[in-house]
Amino acid sequence: MSQRGRHQESKTKLEISPSETMKAEEENYKEEDKEPKSEDWRPPSVFGAADLKNRAVGLYNIGQTCCLNSLLQVFFMNIHFTKILRRISVPVCGTQKKNNVPYQMLLLLEEMQRGKQKAVSPRELAICLLAHRVTMFVQYDAAQLFLTLWNLLKKQMKNPELVEKLSDLYTIGVQEHLACQICSSETKRNSSMLTLPVPLLDSGFYMLKTLEECLQCFFHPEELTGHNMCFCEHCGKKTPFRQCVKLVHLPQTLTIHLKRFCFGRSAYIHKISSCLPFPQDLDFNEVLTEQQCQAYDSEKAAWQYELFAVVAHSGSTSCGHYCAYIRSLTECKWYCFNDSLVEQVSWDDVKSTYGHSDLSWGQTAYLLFYMKKHPQ
Amino acid sequence: MAQWQEVQQLPPTHLERVHQLYTNAALPMTVRQSLADWIEDQDWQQAAEPFSSHARMLFHSLLTLLGEQLGSLGPGDEDFMLKHNLRKARIDLQAAFEEHPENFANLVANLLQEERCILRRAQAKGQVEAPPAPSTAPQSSQEREIQQRLAEFRTALQEAERAFRHMEDLQDTFDFSYKMYYLPGQDHSHDPQYAQHVQALQAKLQSLDRQRREVVAQIQQLLGRSETLRDFLQQELSAWRERQQRSCLGAPTDTCLLQLQGWFTALGEGLFQLLQLLRAVGELRQKVTYEQDPLQSELPLLEKRLQEQLTCLLQSAFVVEQQPCMPNTPKRPLVLRTANKFCTRARLLVRLHDRNHRMEANIHIDRDPPKTRGFRKFNILTSSSKTVLVGDSPREGLVCDFQYLTLKEQKGGGSGKGSRGSNEGPLAVTEELHLITFTLAYAYCGLELKLETSTLPFVIISNNNQLSSAWASVLWFNMLSPNPKDQQFFSTPPPAPWPRLAEVLSWQFQSIAERGLSREHLQMLAEKLFGSKPSPESALPWTKFSKDGAAGFSFWAWLDGILALLHDHLKQLWKDGLILGFVSRKQEKKLLKVKRSGTFLIRFSESMLGGVTCTWVEHPESGPPAFRAVVPYTAAELASLALPDIIRDYQLLAEENIPENPLLFLYPDTARDEAFGPYYSQRHEGILTKKKEYLNQRLIRVSSRQPLSPVCCGCATHMSRGATVGSPGQCPGVIGHCAPLPAVSSPPMAPRCSAVSWGERRVVTSPSSTEPRPSNNEGTRWEREGAMWRDDVTQRSVMSR
Repeated sequence: MSQRGRHQESKTKLEISPSETMKAEEENYKEEDKEPKSEDWRPPSVFGAADLKNRAVGLYNIGQTCCLNSLLQVFFMNIHFTKILRRISVPVCGTQKKNNVPYQMLLLLEEMQRGKQKAVSPRELAICLLAHRVTMFVQYDAAQLFLTLWNLLKKQMKNPELVEKLSDLYTIGVQEHLACQICSSETKRNSSMLTLPVPLLDSGFYMLKTLEECLQCFFHPEELTGHNMCFCEHCGKKTPFRQCVKLVHLPQTLTIHLKRFCFGRSAYIHKISSCLPFPQDLDFNEVLTEQQCQAYDSEKAAWQYELFAVVAHSGSTSCGHYCAYIRSLTECKWYCFNDSLVEQVSWDDVKSTYGHSDLSWGQTAYLLFYMKKHPQ
Repeated sequence: MAQWQEVQQLPPTHLERVHQLYTNAALPMTVRQSLADWIEDQDWQQAAEPFSSHARMLFHSLLTLLGEQLGSLGPGDEDFMLKHNLRKARIDLQAAFEEHPENFANLVANLLQEERCILRRAQAKGQVEAPPAPSTAPQSSQEREIQQRLAEFRTALQEAERAFRHMEDLQDTFDFSYKMYYLPGQDHSHDPQYAQHVQALQAKLQSLDRQRREVVAQIQQLLGRSETLRDFLQQELSAWRERQQRSCLGAPTDTCLLQLQGWFTALGEGLFQLLQLLRAVGELRQKVTYEQDPLQSELPLLEKRLQEQLTCLLQSAFVVEQQPCMPNTPKRPLVLRTANKFCTRARLLVRLHDRNHRMEANIHIDRDPPKTRGFRKFNILTSSSKTVLVGDSPREGLVCDFQYLTLKEQKGGGSGKGSRGSNEGPLAVTEELHLITFTLAYAYCGLELKLETSTLPFVIISNNNQLSSAWASVLWFNMLSPNPKDQQFFSTPPPAPWPRLAEVLSWQFQSIAERGLSREHLQMLAEKLFGSKPSPESALPWTKFSKDGAAGFSFWAWLDGILALLHDHLKQLWKDGLILGFVSRKQEKKLLKVKRSGTFLIRFSESMLGGVTCTWVEHPESGPPAFRAVVPYTAAELASLALPDIIRDYQLLAEENIPENPLLFLYPDTARDEAFGPYYSQRHEGILTKKKEYLNQRLIRVSSRQPLSPVCCGCATHMSRGATVGSPGQCPGVIGHCAPLPAVSSPPMAPRCSAVSWGERRVVTSPSSTEPRPSNNEGTRWEREGAMWRDDVTQRSVMSR
């Protein structure tokens, strides 16, 4: 949902792209690993103000940065994430410091937690991101920016243990099944995803009623026939396939991306603003069937989630505003982060992001972050 | 109330915190006290930001004000200490913060915030400690929440306005300096002062930009909160709509709109104020803009979002306050008769309007009529438009009241009265639903909207005898339709789940006779409808409710007959619970079996429309108890004699020719006269003493006893015996006030009926039964026979006095 209005071609494409990026990053990482590390040197401020409370502090909008601000707040209010962030190693030289995203994020976090200011400007971080081709004054799609940010973080965290922790914290494991309907040969592939991109319309273009239905629809097997037929090696020709995704693993912080856009006539994308309620408590075992999961019982037992944050968008696909509703994990209260303004709100306010078919410019939830109730 | 005043009124424990707060603060409490209002009016938060020129200005204003305060204090001794403290504070402050006034601003901002925190905590605690404040009506948590949010919204709006004024100041200073110092096109390379000016200018622009973003963020935040608030109001409004629908069906609910109107108006006011603020911000942008001006991109978005919200609020705020109703049938709205006047009223809950703009409301009937064959078309005969007027008192809203409307059916060209048969639609007249739509051209603060609202569907009849079945349709629709505008509802009417239907039926009794149906009543009705074992899932189809019926009339017709009877004749008895009403025969026997002889109950007849009867029990010396019931009394009988009087004077002619009243105890165990005493019509005791031309007359009801055993048969002797029964001397108890009169015997022509002759003063009844009857189904037989008996004697009873 941005000026770029990224086309989300097909479900398959979307799932693969993050995993591919990750693979590429892992390779990058190995190279970087050989470089000498400045181990365990941390700025004194990390120790000094090791305030683990993650107070709610605003971030100034410094030019269309509402999307970045909202995502940063979601990162910073997640104590599981900040625990990792606080352990990063500090780059040695000045330019490296300036261009290191995790380090700049840590500095920003420290600044937010240290001062008694109501808001802090993310200027340095923005400049740092600029060096990684994340420009300012451009409206971003939050899901896309989240992926970019996360990849940058992962790429630049030098410590393999932390990288693993970061992956564990956010990545979802799925298994893709592709079965030829004629010779019933099946190919399986494990992949990981950063977000679950769930559709709001079912295959018949009807509005889905709840988040649970959206999730079910996402994991519903899809018949690939006609134009979508795939080449089967056994049959030696294009055959109808049955494609499905099975859930293997769910992370501590689960990100769900509501695909609130659809293509109208002549490829014009418009936003779906209709109401989609999402629960505060989400139990995947109740949502998915046995066949839709590919996990051990111990893994499944931990699939109990509660809502942690909502990144909400108001406006149209071409221009709009983001704000974040986040439930403070230490205080158990909801906050609304609207750039420099932070306000304590109630669950009813969060519910107002369900959407409303009469309010096409109103707030609608776009990214949902769920947190595991009982961390493993 | 100003913050400092509130702080001073805190309970001691919390006040202690305030004292602690100021013990070590660089701002002495004396200063806080003496400049309280001014301090609270300034935007310290803003000034506290780095490089803010505002901080210095505020700091110096404070010092000046302190100076003025010192000057204004009199020379009196009482002010001596105060003067000293203020002077000291002034010197201390100047020394401490002259260099960094923004620190001072930060300090004050934090102090104010802490104060607010303490206040909030104290309030929260106060609510816990004293939960029900002495308010007139207990508020629901939702109502409190709305009030609180409205208050918060107003505060936030004020803050946004303050931020806006600050932005205005910043822009003015920037604009001035820009015009003063920025001189491009000249060579300034050798002018260090110019570079300094440009730098200062840059800083000013920075702070202006920051302030603009701040204002935008505040407005965004406000819009976000108002969405929640609007959701709340919407919920309250739909709850009201539901209440209104229920109250149309007769449920006792409150359908007052005043509170909603207050809330909608408050939110509407706030949003319009925000709209004006946005426009003012837009004007500022016209004056100064720059690259990456946040207002450039955000303003159109904010304005669209706000307008959409206002539209949505106003659309939902236009409601039909009074559903169409004929004044002569106030208990049964939504049934209209052609050529009868009716009224309906709509209200705009947002009580804001432009006095220079004339608002006109229009009504249309069936704007989008369903495309069914034979759907009747109607015209509204009276004027269909009206100017909306507003009274000045807040209780009056923006109301359009249509008082004297009448409907007339549009006749198709050339088709006369009899032609309906040819284009008869699939729906009966009483299942055809019509709608009236209100439209209102609304304009306020440059926002122009066309508001619309519709009444609930109503039924149009042309004859009063359709009223009952029309009302059945209204009940069914409002009970079951998920869509309040569905005019095609009766093409496939859904069945009614029993619990829902039971509730609605009970409301009918509640609204017409002021007492709803008890669990036992409903149990009996359910058994009647669904057989022996009704489950909560049982559902009644529409046809079974309103159309078919084993007894020749539908369930609803039967019930409505009872309702009419209750309304016209038995209201008080029903209200006071003396009528047991809905009792099945089986249940009736079960109840009476264990009671002593002469215990009776009053129930409605199941076999005829609008009938009420008494059943009593008799325990013969041997054998099973016998249950007797009298022929149901209908409106025709009750019109001449009220039921309590019938019960009081009811006579049964026994075999031994002694008339007696078998109704002794009202079930469960109340003596007859004790139960019905208050309802007896007055006896004119003193009348005998007066000399009168005629004797008074009194109607009484009499039945003759049927033989208890099948032994007795209607033989001639029996009859003749019966015919000679009531001579005055023999039954002084019954007609004790009667003047002695010659006994008149009736001709024993009608074998099973009481013989009556008009104009005579004596009632005589003959034994009724001519045929032997088995005793086991006496009740039914009795009633049936009674009905026959009744047939030939509508004027069967005679009065005497």
